[in-house]
Amino acid sequence: MSVLEVSDLRRAFGGIQAVGGVTFAVQPQEIVGIIGPNGSGKSTLFNLVTGVYRSDGGAIRLLGQDITRVAPHRIARAGLGRTFQIPGLFVNMTVRQNLLTAAVHGDWKAAPARADAVLEQLDITHVAGDLAGSLSGGQQRLLEFGRVLMQDPQLILLDEVTAGVHPRLREIILGAIRRLRDEGRTFVVIEHDMELVRTICERVIVMDAGQIVAQGPFEEVANDPHVVEAYLGRPVT
Amino acid sequence: MSRASLAARVLVLAVVAVLVLTVPGWAGDYWTRILTGVCMWAGLALAWNVLGGYAGYISFGHAVFFGIGAYATAVLMQPGRHWNFFLTLPVGVAAAALLAAVVGWPTLKLRGAYFAIATWALAEAILQLATVVGFTNGSSGLVIPSFASSSFFYYAMLVAAVLTFLTTYTLLERSRWGYQVKALRDDEATARSVGIDTTRVKIQAFVLSAVIPAVFGAIDAYWITFINPQSVLAADITDQMVVMALIGGLGHSWGPALGAALLFVVNRQFVAEFGDTTSYIAVVGALVALVVLFLPDGLVSLIPGVRRLGLVRRLLPLSRPEAERR
Repeated sequence: MSVLEVSDLRRAFGGIQAVGGVTFAVQPQEIVGIIGPNGSGKSTLFNLVTGVYRSDGGAIRLLGQDITRVAPHRIARAGLGRTFQIPGLFVNMTVRQNLLTAAVHGDWKAAPARADAVLEQLDITHVAGDLAGSLSGGQQRLLEFGRVLMQDPQLILLDEVTAGVHPRLREIILGAIRRLRDEGRTFVVIEHDMELVRTICERVIVMDAGQIVAQGPFEEVANDPHVVEAYLGRPVT
Repeated sequence: MSRASLAARVLVLAVVAVLVLTVPGWAGDYWTRILTGVCMWAGLALAWNVLGGYAGYISFGHAVFFGIGAYATAVLMQPGRHWNFFLTLPVGVAAAALLAAVVGWPTLKLRGAYFAIATWALAEAILQLATVVGFTNGSSGLVIPSFASSSFFYYAMLVAAVLTFLTTYTLLERSRWGYQVKALRDDEATARSVGIDTTRVKIQAFVLSAVIPAVFGAIDAYWITFINPQSVLAADITDQMVVMALIGGLGHSWGPALGAALLFVVNRQFVAEFGDTTSYIAVVGALVALVVLFLPDGLVSLIPGVRRLGLVRRLLPLSRPEAERR
C-alpha cells in the first residue's frame, strides 16, 4: 500500500491553474524530492495534501485513507507532519514548549522526556528555554523539524527545510531524515538545493506550471529536456 | 533551592495567608470592601486574560457574562422563587457557557479588531435586551434580598479569585490544553498542522473565560443587592477587565490580578478624593499609553526573571490574517 496517493489533483486561484491534474504515489520509506521553478505549484501541492487548501478536484489518500477535503488537524493526526516554506513557529513560546505543542495525543506525562530527546538529537538543548522568536533562521528551521519529530508521523513533508541553514545544522537535519527513513518513515521534500536532492532523494518529481513534467531518479530527470526547459526556458530540441 | 531559602518562602507565604484570611478582623469595613472588590476584579481580569492574553482573541463583550451571572442570581432569588444563592450559581454558569459556545462558534472565525467589534456588538445587544424584557424588570432593575454579612462576601470573592487563579494557572501553564491555546494564539495555521483542533480549543477557551465572570457577577449581585442593566452589563465593566490585564501583564498567569489590585485601589481612592471617576479614567488612559509604549508586558515585567512576550503590540493592532502571511 502506498503511503500517499495523489490522483488528478487540481486547484486554481482565479484564472491561474496552480495545480492542474497532478498524479503520483509515494511508497513506504521512500524519500521523494519535488523540484521545479518558483510558481510551479510545489507549495500549493503541499497545502492541498495537508488540507490547508481545498482541492477543486481529484483525490488524496494517506495510508489508504481518503483525506481529500479533510481538516488539517485530522490529517496531521492521521499521520502526516509538515514544515512550512516560512517556518511556522509559536514565537511567544519557548523552544521546549514548541515541541510539547506537537504532543497532541499519547501520554502527556511522557511528552517532556520525548521533547528532551528531540532537543538532544537536534543539538538545540542549550536554547530549550529561549523564545522561538529569538532563534536564528537556521535554528528556527531545526526547531520546526524537531516539532515534526515530536508528532512522530508516518509521512513527513519538508518544504525547503535546509534553506538558509548553517552547514552543521544541515548535516544534523539530513542525518535525522536518513535515520527516520531507516526506522520506517516516508519523506516528500521540496528543495531548490539540487545537491541535497541528488544526495538523499531516491526519486524526483519535477513540476512546472502546476503539472508534473518528469519523474524518476535524479540523474535521469536532470537530463530530461522538459526539465531543462522548465528551468532554463529553452525550447525542447 | 536551599532549605533556609525554602523555609523563608514558606514563612512569608504563611504570613501572607494569615493576613489575607483575617482581613475582616483587622482591616475595618472600608478596607474589607476595597479588598473584596480587589478579589472580584482580579478574578475578572484573570478570566478575560484566558481569551485575550492566552488565546489572543481580544473581547470587548465580557460584561455580558458578568451580567448573566448577576441576573441569574437576582431573578432566582426574587421573592416568590426564593432560591438559595449557591443554587443560583450553576444556573448563571450554565447560561454563560451556553452563550459563549453558541456565540463563539461563528465569532471565533474572526480575528483582531473584527472579533473585538463582534463581541462589543453582542454586549450592546444583550444590554439593550435586558432593558426591555420583563424578567429583568428593565431599567428599574431588581432588588435582591440580603442575608449575608460583608465578611461573607469578602471570603466568597477571595475563594472565587483563588480558585480562578489555580484553575487558569493549572489549565493554561501546566496542561496539554494550555499549550494548544497558546499555540493557536501564535500561529493558528501551524497549530492545525500539528494536529490541534483549533476551533474546539478556541470555543473551550471562550467558555472558560465566560463562566468565571458569571460566578463573580452572581456574588456581586448578592453583595450589592440591586442590579440593573447599566450596573452589570455596561461596557465599562469589560473595559476595566481589559485595562487591568493590559497594565498587569497580558498573557501572564498572575499579571492581570496585579493590574486589577492596583487599578481598583487607585479607582476607589480617586472616588474618595474627588467624588467621581473622571480623573481616574484620565490616569488609566495615560497608564495604557505608557504600557503600550514602554512596558509591553505590563507591571509583571518589572519583576526579575519574568519572561517578556510583548503581546500588547501584536494583539491589539489589526493583525494580518495568516492566510495573507503565507
